[in-house]
Amino acid sequence: MPRPLGGFDRRAFLTASLLGGGAVLAPSLLSGCAPQSADNGGGGGGGQDGPIRVGVISPLSGAWTVYGKAHSAGFQMAVDELNAAGGTLGRQWEVVIADSRTEPQVVTEQANRLIREEQVDFLAGTFSSAERNAAAPVVTQADKLLLYPTFYEGQSQEFYPGVCNPNVFMFGPEPSEQVWPHLEYMIREHGGRFFMVGSDYVWPRETNRLTKQRLEELGGSVVGEVYIPFNTPQYGSLLGDIGRSGADVVFLSLTGSDTVNFRRQFAAAGMKQDFTVWTVDDEEAATSGVGPEATEGDYVSFDYFWSIDTPNNQKFREKVRSAYPDVIMNTVGVAMYNAAHMAARAIEEAGEVSTDGIRSALAGMTFDQAPQGTLTMRAEDHQATLPSYLVRARPGWTSPDDMFEVVNQVESVEPETAQCDDLPLSGA
Amino acid sequence: MDRVLSVLLDVVTSTLVLALVSLGLAVVFGLVRVINMGHGAMLALGAYVAWTCVNRGIPFPVAVLVATVAVGIVGLVFEVLVIRHFYEQPFETLLISWGFYLVVTELIKLVWGTDLRSLPNPLPGTLSVGGAGIGNYVAVISLISAALLTATALVLYRTDLGVKVRAMIQNRDMALMLGVNAPRMYRSVFAVGAALAGLAGALIAPMFSIEPDMGTLWLVRSFFAVIVGGLGAIVGGTLVGSGLIGGATVVFALFSKQVFAQTVVFALAVIALRFRPVGILGRR
Repeated sequence: MPRPLGGFDRRAFLTASLLGGGAVLAPSLLSGCAPQSADNGGGGGGGQDGPIRVGVISPLSGAWTVYGKAHSAGFQMAVDELNAAGGTLGRQWEVVIADSRTEPQVVTEQANRLIREEQVDFLAGTFSSAERNAAAPVVTQADKLLLYPTFYEGQSQEFYPGVCNPNVFMFGPEPSEQVWPHLEYMIREHGGRFFMVGSDYVWPRETNRLTKQRLEELGGSVVGEVYIPFNTPQYGSLLGDIGRSGADVVFLSLTGSDTVNFRRQFAAAGMKQDFTVWTVDDEEAATSGVGPEATEGDYVSFDYFWSIDTPNNQKFREKVRSAYPDVIMNTVGVAMYNAAHMAARAIEEAGEVSTDGIRSALAGMTFDQAPQGTLTMRAEDHQATLPSYLVRARPGWTSPDDMFEVVNQVESVEPETAQCDDLPLSGA
Repeated sequence: MDRVLSVLLDVVTSTLVLALVSLGLAVVFGLVRVINMGHGAMLALGAYVAWTCVNRGIPFPVAVLVATVAVGIVGLVFEVLVIRHFYEQPFETLLISWGFYLVVTELIKLVWGTDLRSLPNPLPGTLSVGGAGIGNYVAVISLISAALLTATALVLYRTDLGVKVRAMIQNRDMALMLGVNAPRMYRSVFAVGAALAGLAGALIAPMFSIEPDMGTLWLVRSFFAVIVGGLGAIVGGTLVGSGLIGGATVVFALFSKQVFAQTVVFALAVIALRFRPVGILGRR
């Protein structure tokens, strides 16, 4: 879920100019005083003894903080489990958490710092596609791996090195997994005329492009397609357009506070009775922000939901409840959890902590302990084969425990093959 | 015909909601010349106070009153402790009130956390105005906004207090010499501005995402509305400015993409300022 640079964002601008001055200065002063051990950081990493060190970059402040808590908690939880079981190759795990502040340029700084100064063995995280695209050149240059957890727009060569990159692994679903499996159900139940509303950046645009392609193959059509600038509070004119469009389904890829504001105003305008809403963004945390009355009966699709009834998820929920009772767990947190466990298995299989070792062991690995079911990391393009769920918000839900009921599910979806020039993605 | 009417309704409600949010800023800016960057945090604070009250079982209208008073008091304290030492120093007050914004936003995060909150819609359902539908609650907020603007106009133009306040805008030194108690008046104006922000924050809370940074969503738009409308022309200026920033977006979105509509409107605002530096209804 990507956030572009250069939006009309006064807060970011002022924060950067007022606070950033100090914040940027401080690390450079510190590193000026610290011994320059960073020089060997590009190759050496943490070495083959001592703890296994992982750098986790999460949106802990800024626009998408709401998704960030589950993001870092998911990884930390898996690492705690690994350490409790004696570590990997007899070595304990250490996590260094960095705040992306939801800004790509901060991600670049943090990725560099984690690799050079903290000497981490690999990176996990980043949230939006823009954040991932900011971290990818850094890991490529240092020849480290980035394990990326978020639902995303799929891979196509024009966005290299953020995607189609042998050093990046995708643990979240892309549109052919998140959306396609449920199109037939939606057309059958509610009709095939879609009105698409998304935030104005690459993830919604690509998701809508791919959704439209499949929708038209199935005989549906797109009757409206609107992109909204970030931080738009009022939606009066858009609601009017939707009202006159004759659409059956409002297909949403709005993000952050925009999705909350839109959906609350959509409900307040009494439009829920005339249209079916399907969002591909609003996991448990964002849906909580919209509230029960404005989400009732609306659809969401992802690879994971807190309420799905699998044996793995029952165990997982208990662990989250005792370790992180305040965190609203979601698809991204679970992807981070899976990434940590699969990396540990890869390290064990390779017998060493190295980029090449982890990469070749991860490629093709199947992980049957994932909370959502069984996950396979496809060797060819580093995309995960995942389950896919379409859920509907229950009337009067009170918490993520009773928020959604599953209405359509596919146990395992093979994503479309990535549109990359050089497949398979490998280190050579 | 339906379409024209529904667009007209959109324009009116968008304008009035933005005017509601901007009024506190306009009052403080227009009367005591403080560029209150803390306005956004005061909106958020109002929303959170209202949220807390409603979750304690207090009826929504009472919660709105509590939020208004609470944020007014916060504004009063801030004025007494800091702002009153910096009147007539626009750059200093801008920085100080921005500091206030950052501190209050962080405090909100500490007290309420960063999870998104929501309030149930106090008046679900819609009503039909000549065939065009409008949400009950949006309609009520728009009416409240119109009432507040009217009340502000009445106070300014029909009361003794208004005469004094306007005297202060027109000729500060002369008003002081004629015995207007300036420190007290400044303090009241600042507190009233804060209370209006709290009121607006609480009123819009059921329609919008409640989160610590929610004020930033409105800050830019409110500033444009107030400045384009015209310094000192508190009621008319706020309305005209909100109409340009909020209402015109609705109209432009009819012919173009949303992104483009917002850009055009901000560009228009800049052009308006180029030719009317004091704002459309502003006076020197």
